[in-house]
Amino acid sequence: MRAALRSFPTLLRVGFADAVAYRAEFLIWILSTNMPLVMLALWSAVAREHPIGGWGQGKFAAYFLAALVVRLLTGCWAVWTMNYELRQGTLSFRLLRPVHPLLHYLAENVAAIPMRGLFALPVAAASLWILGSGELASDPWSYAIFLAAVLGAFAINFVSMTIVGCLGFFVESSLAIFQVWFGVYLLLSGYLIPLDFFPGWLREASAVLPFRFMLSFPVEVLLGRVSGGAALAWLGYQWALVAAMLALLVITWRAGLRRYSAYGG
Amino acid sequence: MRRYLRLLYVQARASATIAMQYRVDFLVQGAISVFWVFIAFVPLRVVFSSKAGSVAGWSYPEALVVLGWFTLLKSVLEGAINPSLQAVIDHIRKGTLDFVLLKPVDAQFLVSTARFEPWRLTDFLASLGIFIYAFTLLGRAPTPVQLAVGLLMLGLAGLVLYSLWILVVSAAFFVVRIDNLSHLLSSIYDAGRWPIGVFTGAIRILFTYVIPLALMTTYPAMALLGTLEPVTALGALVAALAFSGAARAVWLLSLARYTSASS
Amino acid sequence: MIEVRRLTRHYRVHKRPPGLAAAFRSLFRRVYETVVAVDGIDFDIGPGERVGFLGPNGAGKTTTLKMLSGLLHPTSGEARVAGFVPRERRAGFLRQITLVMGQKQQLLWDLPPSETFELNRAIYDIPVAEYRQTLGELSELLELGDLVKKPTRQLSLGERMKCELVAALLHRPRVLFLDEPTIGLDVSMQATMRSFIQAYNERFGATVLLTSHYMEDVAALCPRVIVIDHGRLIFDGALGELVRRVRPDKRIELRLSKPVAAADLEKLGRLVQHGEGLAVLQVPHAGLPEVVARCLSTLPVLDVSVEDPPLEEVFRELYQRVPATGEAGGI
Repeated sequence: MRAALRSFPTLLRVGFADAVAYRAEFLIWILSTNMPLVMLALWSAVAREHPIGGWGQGKFAAYFLAALVVRLLTGCWAVWTMNYELRQGTLSFRLLRPVHPLLHYLAENVAAIPMRGLFALPVAAASLWILGSGELASDPWSYAIFLAAVLGAFAINFVSMTIVGCLGFFVESSLAIFQVWFGVYLLLSGYLIPLDFFPGWLREASAVLPFRFMLSFPVEVLLGRVSGGAALAWLGYQWALVAAMLALLVITWRAGLRRYSAYGG
Repeated sequence: MRRYLRLLYVQARASATIAMQYRVDFLVQGAISVFWVFIAFVPLRVVFSSKAGSVAGWSYPEALVVLGWFTLLKSVLEGAINPSLQAVIDHIRKGTLDFVLLKPVDAQFLVSTARFEPWRLTDFLASLGIFIYAFTLLGRAPTPVQLAVGLLMLGLAGLVLYSLWILVVSAAFFVVRIDNLSHLLSSIYDAGRWPIGVFTGAIRILFTYVIPLALMTTYPAMALLGTLEPVTALGALVAALAFSGAARAVWLLSLARYTSASS
Repeated sequence: MIEVRRLTRHYRVHKRPPGLAAAFRSLFRRVYETVVAVDGIDFDIGPGERVGFLGPNGAGKTTTLKMLSGLLHPTSGEARVAGFVPRERRAGFLRQITLVMGQKQQLLWDLPPSETFELNRAIYDIPVAEYRQTLGELSELLELGDLVKKPTRQLSLGERMKCELVAALLHRPRVLFLDEPTIGLDVSMQATMRSFIQAYNERFGATVLLTSHYMEDVAALCPRVIVIDHGRLIFDGALGELVRRVRPDKRIELRLSKPVAAADLEKLGRLVQHGEGLAVLQVPHAGLPEVVARCLSTLPVLDVSVEDPPLEEVFRELYQRVPATGEAGGI
């Protein structure tokens, strides 16, 4: 374990060099993450004449730009890597190394964040400031909570992807399962629609589902819509979710690995 | 010509056979297609129920027609275009693209027809369902003329979408790891589910003239709804042809560069 | 059939030094260097010839093949194959040639080879009768049997290569470019492929240009070899001639009834192998009859045989001998 952790910085460095080498790919990924901007245009059009449900154009702008920032910081692709390795059989090579494959995937995904940050964050953050600074949280503690919330969002994103990836040990196509998960994520995380706009029962349900904590919660904190004690409470809840999902990951991984070895890899 | 038709048939048959082999995948993907159609409905519903009346001049049923075209073209994008793109990427990665270039058939044609995914037919059927629903809400049906113009716009839309794809594949020659290119194309296309009126300013110009999303979904919808100006239709025709010509030129240029630059 | 004049190919590679700082710098500025893959080679190959194209790794063999098949544009120089300019990639030209690359295949992976055959038939527009006849002949020569009905992914490497050959030859090309076709195959499969290529060449009069690392391929198939190294042509002629020039030695293998001291053997020639009742001497070709006579008269010889040194050694020496700045025909 300690050896694995010691090698983590190297893994990160390699991951970063990789990211730099395949810069075109990253540019493409960044360009693909344009849905918040599209939704922004849409909702701005809705609110063109007058605010909807208490949301004016400025509020929508702030919301979706914040969503873009969070998405860029928390996106990962672990499920595709795992699916590919399972399909191609290259997972066997990973397993032979003294580093746990999951740590490897983690390093790859984490190392990519600075690249994305370099390209996209300045633009997004600047736009956010210009267009929606009136909407941002005023309490400095909120920013600290925001950072923790983003970290939590990344964790949930990564762990959920790897859990689905582990299902690939049992099912032909884990990508199909992921598509369903992603579809629900689109709806319930606030990515397409701010959760405020859902009818009562759905809004209450979505408040406690993990999806909210992958996107909407950090955004809410950044925009000052949740603050102080309530924010801390929800932060605690978020990380409890992270812990629970980690446990689930460990279980699924072990079970999957047993099956993988049983079938000759 | 007949040779190319027969080639198309052989390639399609090969794809269908492969799809049949992975039967479970086939069914699952079909189900997921339907799932996505439903997911697509939700934002639309929420947006229009939050505000009574119209958004950017479009009513709920009218926006549904746009969604219908979007879904229909999506079935083409995901069923024919993306799989072939993926096949090309695989070829480049494995170094077997050379075999394509060695054949006495136009490489662009071979590469475009390499792979189909038949379960995308569900998307196609779903789009028809959306049309029927939308026009039921409107309480009328498109006139034959509107239908004809609509089909013409569909043809143009298909041409533009295909040309977009050719541009993406041409880029694949230069960029080493482009697994995300099909993802990029899909994500850009995704903006087409909304009527073009929703966008303003620079983005609107972008989506009308540079990446002609307007042409792909909004104009066909307007044709069916009878709100398409003849001038716009004509402009769309010219633009589509120009775009496809440009795409072909880029393809040929990229191919030439590939053969000079690769080793 | 194939005419090559001053064919040259350069390409630019960007240097990516290791280390984080360098990786970061390469984001903004890339350093390129020019690599010369093929440096002005000339040769002619007549119809029906079988020619081996040899050279160490990175010598430029595959690059030359790709230029001759139209996949790569030459940086300068000319080539003509079957009367066409390969670079133009005319349909008429593409119908006359085929390229087989070991380890890479054109067979569709998830489907039986027969589907790929059908596809090629449609692509090359082969009339049905001719298609059936060619397919029949090729299947018979390669003993395919029911292989063609199994999905490609279920076939072994050897079986796949056989089907790959069929797919590549369905359109009866006049020129065959074979790039390491036997790589990775087991010995018996290599032999099968060799005899097939030879049979094909003899029956259909096709011109064969073969690159290979396996000396047996070259020895068995190619009366003529072209050797290139560092992009330059250093030999073009009969294989026997090459051996004579590079290693003008012969090997005498002696079976001895009694052990003989190494020192005694060394007086006759260079001792290459010495063991239980066995000695192998290497002597220059010139003095061969004398040495053999002396062996027979002074040594307790049971049996003697005279051979050329193994091709591997010849080539190893050849590649080592040629300096990087060697000139054409430099042996």
